[in-house]
Amino acid sequence: MNRLKPDVLIIGGGIHGCSAAYHLAKVGVQVTVLEKDWVSRHASGVNAGGVRLLGRDLAEVPLSKVAMKLWQNLDDELDADTGFRKRSLINIAADEQDMNTLYARREKMHTAGYQHETIIDQQELRERLPHVSPFCVGGVVSEDDGYAIPYQSTKAFRRAAERHGAVFMEGECVEQIRKVGTHWHVATRTKAFQAEKLLNCAGAWADKVSVMIGDNVPLTHSAPMLMITARMPHFATPVVGAVSRPLSFKQFENGTVLIGGGSKGFADRDNNRTRLDYKKLAIGAYNAAEFFPIMKKASINRMWSGLEAYMPDNLPVIGRSVNADNAWHAFGFSAHGFQMGPVVGRVMSDLITTGQSTFDLQAFRIDRFERKVL
Amino acid sequence: MSTSFDIAIIGAGPAGMSAAITASENGASVVVLDEKAACGGQIYRNVNNSPLENPEILGSDYTKGGQLVNEFNNCPAEKYYNASVWHVSDSGEVLFSREGETHSLTAREVLICCGAMERPFPIPGWHLPGVMSAGSAQVMLKAEGIVKEDAVFVGTGPLIYLVIAQYLRLGVKVKALIDTTPNTAYIESMPKFPGAIPKTGMLFKGLSLFNEIRKAGVPVYRSAKELAIKGNEQAESIEFFSGGKKHSLETDHVFLHQGVVPHLNLTRAVSLDHEWDKQQLCWRPVHDKWGKSSVDWISVAGDNTGIVGADGAELTGKLVALHQLTRLGKMTETERDVRAEPLNVTLHGLNRFRKFIDSLYRPLDEFRIPQDETTVVCRCEEKTVAELRVGFDQGGRGPNELKGLTRCGMGPCQGRQCGHTVSELLAEWREEEVAEVGYYRLRSPLRLLNLQEFGQFSEIEPVNAAAGDIA
Repeated sequence: MNRLKPDVLIIGGGIHGCSAAYHLAKVGVQVTVLEKDWVSRHASGVNAGGVRLLGRDLAEVPLSKVAMKLWQNLDDELDADTGFRKRSLINIAADEQDMNTLYARREKMHTAGYQHETIIDQQELRERLPHVSPFCVGGVVSEDDGYAIPYQSTKAFRRAAERHGAVFMEGECVEQIRKVGTHWHVATRTKAFQAEKLLNCAGAWADKVSVMIGDNVPLTHSAPMLMITARMPHFATPVVGAVSRPLSFKQFENGTVLIGGGSKGFADRDNNRTRLDYKKLAIGAYNAAEFFPIMKKASINRMWSGLEAYMPDNLPVIGRSVNADNAWHAFGFSAHGFQMGPVVGRVMSDLITTGQSTFDLQAFRIDRFERKVL
Repeated sequence: MSTSFDIAIIGAGPAGMSAAITASENGASVVVLDEKAACGGQIYRNVNNSPLENPEILGSDYTKGGQLVNEFNNCPAEKYYNASVWHVSDSGEVLFSREGETHSLTAREVLICCGAMERPFPIPGWHLPGVMSAGSAQVMLKAEGIVKEDAVFVGTGPLIYLVIAQYLRLGVKVKALIDTTPNTAYIESMPKFPGAIPKTGMLFKGLSLFNEIRKAGVPVYRSAKELAIKGNEQAESIEFFSGGKKHSLETDHVFLHQGVVPHLNLTRAVSLDHEWDKQQLCWRPVHDKWGKSSVDWISVAGDNTGIVGADGAELTGKLVALHQLTRLGKMTETERDVRAEPLNVTLHGLNRFRKFIDSLYRPLDEFRIPQDETTVVCRCEEKTVAELRVGFDQGGRGPNELKGLTRCGMGPCQGRQCGHTVSELLAEWREEEVAEVGYYRLRSPLRLLNLQEFGQFSEIEPVNAAAGDIA
């Protein structure tokens, strides 16, 4: 179905675009989502699926906390299976220095009034993760954290949005954006769209869209790498991370183990492709086996990476355009945006329909890196 | 700085062996990687050290490979066996595991000749224990001398008759041959028959195999349809229609076969362009007459390019080597063309014969595109036709979207077994050409890679540096 003149045109069919479409459509706004490939093709479909509140930057905590509440009942809300499982997340401390990092973090969190991160000692760590290496001395846990299946989650938002009347058009890559009078004119290769309001959720391509809207932004893109094993006997219920090492993994119910850790491959954005840096991935493999000796026998089944957008401070852009009226941005989540999908869509819907949000979005302004004039 | 090989050849079957011989004897530094413990490929596996007392019973098409194997063993190419290639990067790096470690090497030219695999045969019950492919029956026979008594062979194509004949010569009892070649195929393949006439020797070989099976008293059910393997924990019987009647045979060993298709995992993983071959009903990498793929420095040869058979593989391997030598500046274009001409003449004859064989043994739609809802398509993740249909109706119109929604193709084989079936099923559901539907986007490592093994990295350089790129 085509809808060339919606109330709101969303550029980008990732989880934020789909979630925004859902929240807008739910309150009766006519929405069209333009996706240059297909919905959930890039970061939203191929990320590690971490649903994480633990260790968030303080600026993100309010949003992330609300998102975490939404995740607990998201399947009911969207009438779909996102694959969400509440499993808790533990960041492991490998030595006393890590423990000191945790104590400092606790101090900061308590001062800000946040109590959701709890430090655990070595004994409790072993009770929660019986296969952890003996050298690990403790850790920090967040109980509501877990994981979901990215592709299914993003699709769930899309289908729920469609049930409320949102229209998704795939294979529509935006080539030109102009403001004509009160309306945005947006052209793809074969189609022309008009809308009063525009939302940029274009992920790793969002800087290009920003420039067309009229906002400069120091966005970069990269290719965080992941690998998944064949099925293993069950050995870890919580999602696992480490305080100071590039280690992150989760074991799914089918026994497969997804190993991440944030090491980056090479992003070839213009060709929709990524290349892996196997030597770096090998370090991730080494770390996993060092922290969990049972993983030495694991068999890697697939390795991949996706194109993801990064901001210099690793915080997203969420808010209105500073140089144009009736345009908004939500992008640059720097490899931790998946968990915030449910709430960011709501924030964007609020901003677009009422001009306001209940959250303080100062830290996420698009112009926060603009040089101050002396 | 590390030095590179001139040519890295992946796969030491007839194509890889002949390419290695031609290239290395003309001054190129060549490295050959094969995942098996010895060269020969599926066709010439263990040809010079067979576990059988009389390997001759496997036939002259097998034993003749001994000469090529000897030549290959004596050529100056470096050979790494038990070397499982799991990544070829677009910068020319080849990664493989061997003896508990990960190795990398670089080469100016790469030849991918990983051969063929048996076409999946998705019928009800094909996933049950006790059901194997006729090809794996032959592998067990060639590699370890193991046979299964009283098995039922089901399908079509030269290999199935050959394996039965090999069994019979060893005195192994074969319970039945359920031949799925439709009666109409003999008529429909006739227009291609003139192409087969110059190869009457090959035709007679085929006929004599069939006579051998008949004479041995093996019951043959012709033009069989509506196959279903029954059993709870394991295959117990097979049901089918033949000669206007429904049959049921009790058996705990079923060997299926309906031809072979190119082994795609590596060519797909390096993102070569592929096309759908309507004659052979399979995907194959796009390539020119020298085997050059859509990536300049990657070539393909042998059954990996589309099924050409062992003799064709040997010829295409040589042709690739000649062209790579020219690209490396080690052979003039004139010499290349002179040496290629007789090879191309022979290859042309083989291709005409192949057209006839492809037409005669064309696998039926009902055995490639499963209609029964309960039939398992993806064996790794145990996904049935019905489950895929649900995913399709939810918007999984392409193989990758369907994979994301259903996990079909996500298991350890990375879609090797279900890829062709999924492409054709989706094409039928979309009422479009298979070429429009496409195939899975593949991820390294193509095989299961041990985590610890992956953690150990080392680089391999040519032993004979003088032959390398230092000159």
